[in-house]
Amino acid sequence: MINALLWTPLAFGLIGLFLPRRLAGWWATLGAVATLGIAISLVAGFDSGASGLQDTVDVNWIPGLGVDYSLGIDGLNVFLILLTTVLWTAGTAFAAFRQQDRPHLFFLMMLIGETATLGSFLAQDLLLFVLFFDLMLVPFYFLFGAWGSDREGGPSASAATLKMIVYTLIGSLLMLVGAIATAIIAADGGHITFSIAELAKHPIGEGSQRWIFWFFAAAFLVKMPAFLLHGWMPDAYRAAPLPALAVFSGVLAKVGAYGFLRVVLPLFPAATIEFQEVILVIALASILYGSVMAFTQTNVRLIAGYSSVAQLGFITAGIFALSADGSDGAILQMVNHGLVVAPLFVIIALLVERTGTEDLREMGGMAMKAPVLAALFLIVTLATLAMPGSANFVGEFYILNGLFDSKIVFAFVAISGVAMSAYYALRLYQRTMHNRKPAGLISREISWRDGIVLVPLVLCILGLALYPQLILKRTDTSVARSVAATEGPSGGSPKTLSAKRPPSPGEQPTQLRGVAFWETHLTAPDPTKASQ
Amino acid sequence: MNVEWYIVLSSLIFAVGAMGLLLRRSPVVILLCLELMLNAGNLALVAFSRMVGNQQGQIFAIVVMVVAACEVVVGLGLIVAIFRRKLPLDVDALRELRG
Amino acid sequence: MSATGWAWLVLLFPLLGSIVIALGFKVLPSKAAGAIGTLAIGLAFACGVAALINLLGEAPDARHHASALWDYASVAGLNIKLGIYLDPLSTFMVLIVTGVSTLIHLYSFGYMQSDEGYHRFFSYLNFFVFSMLLLVLAGNFVLLIVGWAFVGFASYALISFWYRRATATKAGMKAFVINVVGDIGLVLAAFLIFRELGTFEYSEVFAKAPHVFHTNEWTVTAICLLLLVGAFAKSAQLPFHTWLPDAMEGPTPVSSLIHAATMVTAGVYLIARTHVLFVLAPTAADIAAFVGLATLLVAGTIALVMTDLKRAIAYSTMSQIGYMIMGVSIGAYSAGMFHLMTHAFFKALLFMAAGSIIAAMANNQNIDDMKGFGKAMRFTSITMLCGGLALAAFPGTSGFFSKDEILAYAHARGGMYDIFQILGYFGALLTAIYTFRLIFRVLPGKPCPEAQELIDTGHVHHAHPFNPATGEEEDTGVGFPGADHHIAEQSWPMRLAMGVLAFLALFAGLIQVPGLDDVVTKFLDPVFADSPLTRIVPSVGASWVGLAIGAAISIAGIGIAYWLYVARPETPAMLIERLRPLHTFLINKWYFDEAIDFLIVRPALAIGRFANRTFERLVVDGLISGTEDVVGGSGRLVRVVQSGFVRSYALLLLVGFAGLALYFLLSSS
Repeated sequence: MINALLWTPLAFGLIGLFLPRRLAGWWATLGAVATLGIAISLVAGFDSGASGLQDTVDVNWIPGLGVDYSLGIDGLNVFLILLTTVLWTAGTAFAAFRQQDRPHLFFLMMLIGETATLGSFLAQDLLLFVLFFDLMLVPFYFLFGAWGSDREGGPSASAATLKMIVYTLIGSLLMLVGAIATAIIAADGGHITFSIAELAKHPIGEGSQRWIFWFFAAAFLVKMPAFLLHGWMPDAYRAAPLPALAVFSGVLAKVGAYGFLRVVLPLFPAATIEFQEVILVIALASILYGSVMAFTQTNVRLIAGYSSVAQLGFITAGIFALSADGSDGAILQMVNHGLVVAPLFVIIALLVERTGTEDLREMGGMAMKAPVLAALFLIVTLATLAMPGSANFVGEFYILNGLFDSKIVFAFVAISGVAMSAYYALRLYQRTMHNRKPAGLISREISWRDGIVLVPLVLCILGLALYPQLILKRTDTSVARSVAATEGPSGGSPKTLSAKRPPSPGEQPTQLRGVAFWETHLTAPDPTKASQ
Repeated sequence: MNVEWYIVLSSLIFAVGAMGLLLRRSPVVILLCLELMLNAGNLALVAFSRMVGNQQGQIFAIVVMVVAACEVVVGLGLIVAIFRRKLPLDVDALRELRG
Repeated sequence: MSATGWAWLVLLFPLLGSIVIALGFKVLPSKAAGAIGTLAIGLAFACGVAALINLLGEAPDARHHASALWDYASVAGLNIKLGIYLDPLSTFMVLIVTGVSTLIHLYSFGYMQSDEGYHRFFSYLNFFVFSMLLLVLAGNFVLLIVGWAFVGFASYALISFWYRRATATKAGMKAFVINVVGDIGLVLAAFLIFRELGTFEYSEVFAKAPHVFHTNEWTVTAICLLLLVGAFAKSAQLPFHTWLPDAMEGPTPVSSLIHAATMVTAGVYLIARTHVLFVLAPTAADIAAFVGLATLLVAGTIALVMTDLKRAIAYSTMSQIGYMIMGVSIGAYSAGMFHLMTHAFFKALLFMAAGSIIAAMANNQNIDDMKGFGKAMRFTSITMLCGGLALAAFPGTSGFFSKDEILAYAHARGGMYDIFQILGYFGALLTAIYTFRLIFRVLPGKPCPEAQELIDTGHVHHAHPFNPATGEEEDTGVGFPGADHHIAEQSWPMRLAMGVLAFLALFAGLIQVPGLDDVVTKFLDPVFADSPLTRIVPSVGASWVGLAIGAAISIAGIGIAYWLYVARPETPAMLIERLRPLHTFLINKWYFDEAIDFLIVRPALAIGRFANRTFERLVVDGLISGTEDVVGGSGRLVRVVQSGFVRSYALLLLVGFAGLALYFLLSSS
C-alpha cells in the first residue's frame, strides 16, 4: 500500500511520456488522483490511538552501510501525505486545463516531484530522508528554470533558479554530512544504522549534537525559508510557473518544518533544548519580517511568498515551544497553510490571466463581474489571516498557547504577527477585488474548469474549519512522543498548567480567596448614603 | 614476458593519450584520446592481474570498458548535439564554464 | 424541546439564511432573498422566545445550561468543544439581537430595494446575525473569540459593502484591523485564563476563579485588562474608537444594526459575562469605568459639532456605550444591560430615520444642507422625534429610565463613584443638546430644495453622484443606490419597522420602573447573584430623586438646543467664532486619528519600507553577496584556472594525479 502510494506518481509520469501530447496532462492528473485515492484510504485506515508507525515497509537496501528502505506512517506525516496528494491533484489539474509548453516533460517533472515529496514524508531512514529531500530539488529546478518566466529588471528564470538551488543544496549537503556523522557517532565502531527510530533510542553525545543540530537546522530553515535565509525566495517565486509554485509553496516548505519534528527533536534533544531560544528568535524574526514585507510588497506573488515566511515562522515557533500543544498546532498549521497558500496561488494565477499584471497597484475592482471568484478568494483570504473560526486560527491558537506556556514573552511578540497578517491579507484582497477597476482591465467570472480545482480546496478549508479535531486527534499521540524526547531534566515540563491547577473542590478553603476582599471592604450598603 | 614491458607500453599509450588530450582542440579527437588513456589503464590492470594470478584486475578492466562505452555514447551524443546547434567543434571556443 | 435545543435553532436559522441566499444569488429573485433573510431572523427570534419560555419554566437558580455538539479541538490538555451556554444573560442578548435584527431586516427590505448587491447584502446581514448570536451564546472563550471575530468580519464586509468607494474600503480595513487588535486581546486573555485555570469553559472558569485568584492579583488584573482591549475595540471606546465614525460609510441599515444596536454593545456583554473576573480585579473594573466615562464625554463633545448626520449619531452611539461600559464595570449590571436594550431600540430607530432622510437627500449626509423635513416627511420626523426623545432621556421614555438607573447605582456605591454620577449627568446634558441640535436643524424651518421637491411632487428626481468625502463620482454599478430613493413614507416594510421601534423607544422603559416592576433586574438576577456588588441596591427613593434630576437635565438640554438652533439660530455661528480653537479641536475629533496615524501606522509603514528598500538589499542580499564576495574573492584567485578551456582542466587533472602519485611514491619509500 505504502509502496503504491510512493511510486504511483512516478509510474504514471513515466508511462505518460509515451502518450500523445494532449493526453499528457490528463494522464498526469489521473495519476495524481489515483495517488490521492491511495492516500485517502491510508488515512481512513489510520489508527489514531496507536503510538508507533503503521503500514511500515522495511527492506535492507544497502546492508553494508546500514541503509534501509524503510517507510512508515504515523501521526506526524499522515495528514501531510494527504495534503501533498490533494495539492498535487489540484496543481496538476490546474496545469492540465492550460496549454503547457513541452507537456510530457512538465508533467513528468510534476509527478517526480510528488514521489520525491511523498518519499521525504514517508522515509523512516535518515539517509533515505536526505535522499528524497534532495530529490525534491531536481524536478523543481527544471520546472522553475525551464517553465518559469523572466522578469523585466530582475534576474532571469534560470538565474533565479540557480540561486534557489545553491541555497538549498548547501543546506542539503550540510544535512547529508550531519546524517552520516550522526550514524557513525551513534554506531561508535559497531554496526551502523540510519534508522531514525534506532538512532532516537540512544541520542549521541551532547557535544556532537550541538554542531549536527545546526547542520540539519540549516537545511530545514533554508527550505522553509526562514528569516535571513530567504534570499532565494523572492526571485524564485517571481520566476516560477504558478501551478508548480502552488505545490512548492504548499508542500515543500513544510518538509523543512516536518524535518524538525521527525529528525531533530527526537535525535538531538539536548541540542534542541539548548538552542530552543535561538530558533525561536529566528522564528519570531521570520514572523515579523515576513509580515512587514508582505504589507509593503506590490507584487502579488511576493505578498503570498512573504506571508508564507511569516506562517512558517509560526509553525517553527510552535515546534520549538517544545510542548505537545505547540507541536500539535504546528502540524495542523502545516496542513492549513498548505491548503490556503495553494488556492491563493491558483487565484493569483487567475488574476494574472485577467489583468496581465502582477502589480497590485494596477489591479482592482475584479469582484464586480466575478462574484464567485470573489467569494472563494474571500474565504481563502480569511483563512490566510487566521480568522477565528478557521482551522488556521485553531492552529495558531495551539501554537501560541504552547508558546505562551513555555516562553510567554515570545508569545506576546509572535501574536503581533497576527494583527499584521490581517492587514496584508485583506490588503491583497481589497486591492485586487475591490476599489475602482483600472481602465482596460477585464473582469470575468471563474470558469467551471478552474472552479473544479478551486472549489474542492475551499471546501477542504471550510470542512477543517468546522472540525479541526479531525487532524488534531490523529496527530496528538505521535507528536507527544516526538516532543517527549526534549522533556529531559533541563527541558522542564512543557505542560506547566498542572503546577498551577486549582485545588480540587474537596480541598477548597471555606472562604473563597478572591471574594475575601469584598467581605471586608464592601459592607452592606449604607442606607443613609443611598438616599440623597 | 616480464611485467615491466606491459607497464612501459601502458605508460606510453597513456602519455600519448594525455598529450593528445592536452594538445588537440577537436572534441572528437579528445574523446579518442580519452579512450586511449582508459585502455592504457586497462592494459596495466590486465598485466598486473596476470602477474598476481587472480582475476580481479580483469574484472576491473571489463568494468572500465563498460564505463568507457557509456562515456563514448554520452560524449558522441554531446558532440552531435553541439554540431546540430551549429556551435563550433572546438573545445576552446566552448567556454561557457569560464569563472 | 429543551432550552438549549431552541438555542441551537436560534443559531441555525440565520446561518442557513445566509448560505441559502449566497448560493442562490443567481436564481433567487431579489424580493425572495430579502424575504428569506427576514424570515430566517424572524424564526430565530421565535426560537429565542421559545428558549426564554423554557427558561422561565425553571427555578431561577437552575436557569443555566451548557450544551455541546462536538469536540472542536481537544487534545494536549486543551478541551475546546463546539458548545453553547444559555442563561438569562445570553437569552436576554439573543432576544435583543434577533428582535432588533428582524426589524432592521424588514427596513432593509425596503431601503435596499434598488441596490444591485441585494443578495450580497442580505447574505452578509444574516451572517452578521449568526455571528452575533454565536458571540452571545458561546459556551467557552474560544467560541466567544470565534463569534467575536466573525462579527468583526461581517462588520468589515458591510462597511465596505459599496466596495468601489475608496472611502468605504478604507473604512472597512480600519474597522477590521482595529477589531483584530481587539481579538488579540481576547486571545491573550484566553491563554492566561487557560494557564491559570486549565479550562476555557465559562462555567468552569467562573466556578474556579474565586478559588484561585486573590483579589487584585496581577494575573486576574492582566486577564481583565486584556479582555478590556477586546471590549474597547469592539465597542469603540477610547482609544480604539476611531473606526466607528468611519464605519458610517456602509449602508444605513448596517449602521443601524451593527454599528448602533448590536455589535458595538458586545463589549458591554463581555464585561457583564466575565463579571466574576472583574469583581476579582477591581482595578481593571475601575479602569474600564473611567474609560467608559471618558468616552462618553469625548464622544459627546464631538457629537456637538459634527455636521455629518450619520457620524453625529455614531458619536452619540459611542457616548451611550460609554454609559453601558461604565455601568457594568461599576457593578450596575442589569442597569447596563437594560440601557443596552433601550439604546438598541432608540438608536436603531434614529439611524433608520436618518437613513430615510439621507435617501431623500440623495445620499448627502451633511446637515448644513438639510432643513424642513418635518413637513416633507411626516412619518420619518415623528419617529425621529421619538428616538430623539428617548436618547435625550426625556421623562417617561425608555432612555430616561435606563440611563438614570446606572447613575443612581453609581451614587449608591458612593465614594469615588460619585464622580461617575456627576459627570454622567453632565454627559446627559450634552446628549440632550446634540440630539436636539440634529433634530432642530433637520426637521423644522423652511424646506430645503430636496424637501420642497418632496412636498411638491411626492418624490425626489435627482441623484447625488459624487462622494462628499473624496469628490469622486459614485459608481452605481456595484450597487450604490442610484437615482431611486427609498424613504419610509413610500415603503411599508420601512414604516412597520420604524413604527415598532418608535413604540419600543417610547415605552420599553416601563418594564423597569424603580420600585414598580424591575423586570430586567429580576430576570438577570441569577446571573449576577455571585457578585458582591449586586448587594448594593439604590433605594427606591434615591432612584426617584435621580430620575427627577435626570428629567430636569434632559429638559434643560432640549431647551438649550431649542434656544441655540430655533430661537436664535445665529448664536451657534457666533459661538464657533468666539471659541475657534475649541471648535477646531472638536471638529478634528480630538486629533485621535492623527495621533494613531503618527504613533502606529507611520512607524509600521516606515519599518516596512525600510525592510523593503534597505534591509532586504543590504542585509539579506548582503548576506548573500557577502558570502558571494568571500566565495567570489577566493574564486577570483582560482579564476585563472577556471578558464573554460577544457584542455587546461585536463592538464590540471593530470598534474594533480601525478602529484598525488609522486606523494605516495615518496611516502611509501
